Amino acid sequence: MAADAGEAQLQVRFITKQEQYAVSDSPYAIQSNIQSSELNTLINALLKETNPTLGKVVEFDYLICGELLVSTVAEHLQEKGLSTEETLEIEYLERFPAPSPQDCLMHDDWVSAVHTHGNWILSGSYDNSVHIWNTKGQHKLAIPGHTSPVKAVSWVSFSGDQAVFVSGSHDQSTMLWVWNVSGNSVDCVVTCRGHDKGVECLSVSADANRFATGSWDNNVCFWSTSLSDEDNIPVKKKSKPEQGKTRQPLTTLKGHREAVSAVQWMDHNTVVSSGWDHLLKIWDCELGGIKQEIVGNKAFFDVDWSPLNNSLITASADRHLRLYDPRSTDSIVKTTYTSHTGWVQSVRWSKTRDTMFLSAGYDGQVKLWETRSPKTPLYDLSGHEDKVLCCDWSNPSLLISGSCDNTLRVFKAKHATAGS
Amino acid sequence: MPPYKAGLLKRKIDSNKTNSTSADDKEQSSSNDEENLIQGELDAESDATDSEHGEDDAESDAERDEVVFSDNDADSLLDDKQSAPAGDDSSELTDSEDDNESDANSDDSDNSNNSEEEHSSDSGAGTGTAPSAGSSDEAPKNKTKTQTSRLKPQQPNKKQTKNKSTIDKLADKIKETKVVEPVQQKDEYESGDTSDEEDRVNTAGDVPMWWYNEYPHVGYDLDARRIARPPQRDHIDDFLKKCEDPEFWRTVRDPATGQDVLLSTEDLQLIERLRAARLPSADHDEYEPWVEWFSREVLATPLRAFPEHKRSFLPSRSEQLQVARIVHALKMGWTKTRKQIADERRKKRERQFYNLWGAGDAAEQAQRPRSLPAPRRALPTHAESYNPPPEYLLDKREMKEWDKLAETPWKRKYTFLPTTHGSLRLVPAYPRFVRERFLRCLDLYLAPRAIKMRLTISAEELVPKLPAPRELQPFPTAEVLRLRGHAGPVRSADFDPSGQYAVSASDDGTVKVWETATGRCLRTVELGEPVRAAAWTPAAGLSLVAVALGRRLLLLNPGADVGAARVAARTDELLAEAPPAHDAAPDARTAAAVSWAAPDAAQWARGVRLALTHFRPVERVAWHARGDYVCVTLADAASRAVVVHQLSRRRSQLPFRRAKGLVQCALFHPTRPQLLVATQRAVRVYDLLRQELVRKLQPGAQWVSCVAAHPAGDNLLVGSYDRKLVWFDLELSARPYRTLRLHGGAVRALDFHRRYPLFASAGDDPYLVVSHGMVYSDLLQNPLLVPLKQLPGPEKRGELCVLGLRWHPTQPWLLAAAADHTLRLYA
Repeated sequence: MAADAGEAQLQVRFITKQEQYAVSDSPYAIQSNIQSSELNTLINALLKETNPTLGKVVEFDYLICGELLVSTVAEHLQEKGLSTEETLEIEYLERFPAPSPQDCLMHDDWVSAVHTHGNWILSGSYDNSVHIWNTKGQHKLAIPGHTSPVKAVSWVSFSGDQAVFVSGSHDQSTMLWVWNVSGNSVDCVVTCRGHDKGVECLSVSADANRFATGSWDNNVCFWSTSLSDEDNIPVKKKSKPEQGKTRQPLTTLKGHREAVSAVQWMDHNTVVSSGWDHLLKIWDCELGGIKQEIVGNKAFFDVDWSPLNNSLITASADRHLRLYDPRSTDSIVKTTYTSHTGWVQSVRWSKTRDTMFLSAGYDGQVKLWETRSPKTPLYDLSGHEDKVLCCDWSNPSLLISGSCDNTLRVFKAKHATAGS
Repeated sequence: MPPYKAGLLKRKIDSNKTNSTSADDKEQSSSNDEENLIQGELDAESDATDSEHGEDDAESDAERDEVVFSDNDADSLLDDKQSAPAGDDSSELTDSEDDNESDANSDDSDNSNNSEEEHSSDSGAGTGTAPSAGSSDEAPKNKTKTQTSRLKPQQPNKKQTKNKSTIDKLADKIKETKVVEPVQQKDEYESGDTSDEEDRVNTAGDVPMWWYNEYPHVGYDLDARRIARPPQRDHIDDFLKKCEDPEFWRTVRDPATGQDVLLSTEDLQLIERLRAARLPSADHDEYEPWVEWFSREVLATPLRAFPEHKRSFLPSRSEQLQVARIVHALKMGWTKTRKQIADERRKKRERQFYNLWGAGDAAEQAQRPRSLPAPRRALPTHAESYNPPPEYLLDKREMKEWDKLAETPWKRKYTFLPTTHGSLRLVPAYPRFVRERFLRCLDLYLAPRAIKMRLTISAEELVPKLPAPRELQPFPTAEVLRLRGHAGPVRSADFDPSGQYAVSASDDGTVKVWETATGRCLRTVELGEPVRAAAWTPAAGLSLVAVALGRRLLLLNPGADVGAARVAARTDELLAEAPPAHDAAPDARTAAAVSWAAPDAAQWARGVRLALTHFRPVERVAWHARGDYVCVTLADAASRAVVVHQLSRRRSQLPFRRAKGLVQCALFHPTRPQLLVATQRAVRVYDLLRQELVRKLQPGAQWVSCVAAHPAGDNLLVGSYDRKLVWFDLELSARPYRTLRLHGGAVRALDFHRRYPLFASAGDDPYLVVSHGMVYSDLLQNPLLVPLKQLPGPEKRGELCVLGLRWHPTQPWLLAAAADHTLRLYA
């Protein structure tokens, strides 16, 4: 059978959406046991014919029937149940270049949260502190303030010299900090208290006016990011002087029956939250109600929303990543991505590419995925020696992950020429 | 007056009426009347004879002769003969008849008379057919006399002389009797008494009379006196008499008595009629109209005067038996109804055709004996070829051996001699062909064959049908986290009510609090003594961990950074101040066993909120579902092995006065106010409110190690050191519902999941077993137990492997406390 498949000739036509790599769309006859590397040489040879100016050899990925080619063409077709008789259309696109390890930022304790903005990396650790690093790997600041492990951090805004960020911790509070970049001084402006149990996750809205937190007390709370009290709702309790100002939540959304593990803004008015009660809930912030519910069959650990492809990618208490379409009313998993060998703890969409996302799991692996390749990730970003707790791809060129081995690993993503 | 009496009366009236008419008419009418009344027939006849007597008074002398003859006729003789053996009854009968006659119109017939009449008529009916025909012929004259004498008891002496009297005399006497009849009425019983004495009959018997020829007598009367032979007449006398006596022609000699009897006119008529072959009696109408008295029509009054017999109201037993027999036979098909028989007959008459073109249905096939295929013969080999390869041909040595075995050809290598032929054309006829075919046929014919039915039961079929584990998801399938940090074997582990944290107790003297999702150790409490057990309170509003170490039970507050700070603060607040002392005053026995103590400042800083010291080491700790009570099992404490502490009142109780055995563990029932106490061999369920034993469960294990109760409360799982896992359905019985042998070593830990139908067990095996234990709310449906997964467990340390198991309160995750200093989370 294998011999037969190897001998079979295939009629293929190469198409691409990247015009600079276009080749003539006349059909070619190829061996069916050909792999993507051999296809590469073929395409490059063709490219050299059509466009002799193109100097270097370009690596391509090949899509057959909407799925990335990882094995031989024959096996791929057999898996998809396609005929080898007809002319096959193979779409090719420039391969995302392999990220290279750039840095390893050592912490004193487990790194539980990370977020980047521009050149600045914000990380939260189990030693109750928040750290600021730059992309060169320089440790700028270690900010103690929380009394329990920091579970979530996020940049809010950069305005000139002043940077605002927020951190949520298991001490049931969320703190709004102002960092003077040039002076390298930090100040806790507001302490947000409203959760009964530890804050597990937070997310800042796109306009940076509000942020949402999810907690172990099953609630999702919305807070204002304004640094002053006046333009917000009046403070009900007298804030304690030593703690700075204390702020109450704008809204509290009760609906989850168990811990809220992740919140993400979908647009300025919609938030998606995932919980240990196997539910994804999409909330309307204005109305404070549930717009939609997606039922999974495992506890969700993380969820991320991509405005580029309007899809939700989730990590749950098993080895799989699941892609949901929030527009469909039924809770049907569109695709399941399986490659991790332990629980997947964190998942992040690329901000620039609609088909790529990053996942971090308890197997110590960070994986870079292409949505059209559910079985095999594009790249395994290995290096961590223990459970990876968080990952971030906010800066398109930086793939960052924090782990239980007290390190924050930074991978540099080389920009593909036609990437953005 | 009852109807039957009226009937009788009417009969009498009838008979009286006929008195005035001629005897013939009356007889006829009376016979008409009572023809169908068998019992009344003789009655009527006797009436008739009686009435004749009455007639005599009014009729002329000439007619009287007739009457005398009529007295002598056969019928009347018959009557007498019957009456003679009847004895008193018969005499009474005649008396009463006389009575009726005399008072014909007086109507004073009393009951006794009537009943006697009935009785007599009955007896008459009984004997009416009895008399022999010959007796009437032999009727002697003295019999006629006896009757007359009976009617006339005043003349008993005349009997002796009667034999010699002439017919005239006789007639006269009869006349006299008729005359004196009214006199006779005066003494009716006298006649009855004397009747026997007067009855002179020859008792010689039925023997030929010539036997007495040589004797002077001809026989004996009833008193055994000889009856003298009447004087013999010679021929001359006969002749003279013939000449003298005009009645000689009608005189015959009675052979029994040897006396002359004068035949009456009626006798003559009778003889005449008999000779003419007619009915003896001229009065009998052969063709009288038949009256259907007994018809199906129900009469207004009963036809028969006497009441229905009792048996007419009862169903006949014999008929019932007969019917039952018939019905049974019908049921069993032994007999058939007419319709069935007709059907069968019709079917038999129809012609049967064999369905030549039918395909032969399954039933027919089944009826037919299965054709056994003949065993196959081995295929011919190379040696049997007409041109075998040379190696199959016999060489010289083999030929020699072949020849040697000529005597015993069955020992030869082949049954034939391989020979080679140049072509198939040259192959000669096989000489043994017919012989071999014949033997083959004999084999097939004579050797019994049977189809061998092979019973095929595969091992899979014997395995009970259980749902596939895949359908019973979710359940833990793999180890996801390994919590490291302890320096000694971890004795037990528990989750907090929300499942965010886990607490573990280890022999290294520490209690650690872990974050479940990440496996991060958040807090370590150094206690300085191997910790035996740790259990988080099930009350969500409290933040307390019960920790058993040595003889102490400590209640720890894990701290503000673990769980909700508000809850932790509230817990501290609650436990800070002691309740009033009088409330907590224990009795002496309890006080000797337990002492409560508030912790000092150092301990408080470490999180200890309460410390209880027992008199023996604490083995196990179990919380009540409300979180106010803790049940503690002490080692080697006999009757005080189980102690129940109430936290809110800081009070302890010893629920048991006497030890029922070596208590292994005790726990509260999840829903009811009951306490489950496992001793070495049995599990007892006590009602705490009524303070009595509810039931005793016998797991059948040698040494119970641990008990877990299903959260619904009706099922119980008992693990034992002898590798058994026993499931009890408390609703079903006190016997084990199922005994599971899932482990190769002692079972040390068990737990039920609170939400999912899962339970897990582990022990000295290097693996944990997760099973599906579905309990249905339908009481009729038994629990479904399916072992799901053997999870690879921690490595063994010494003999120990897994020491504690706990399910996550909400997720299908399992936490195992292992002897290899780790905790493992399976999901």
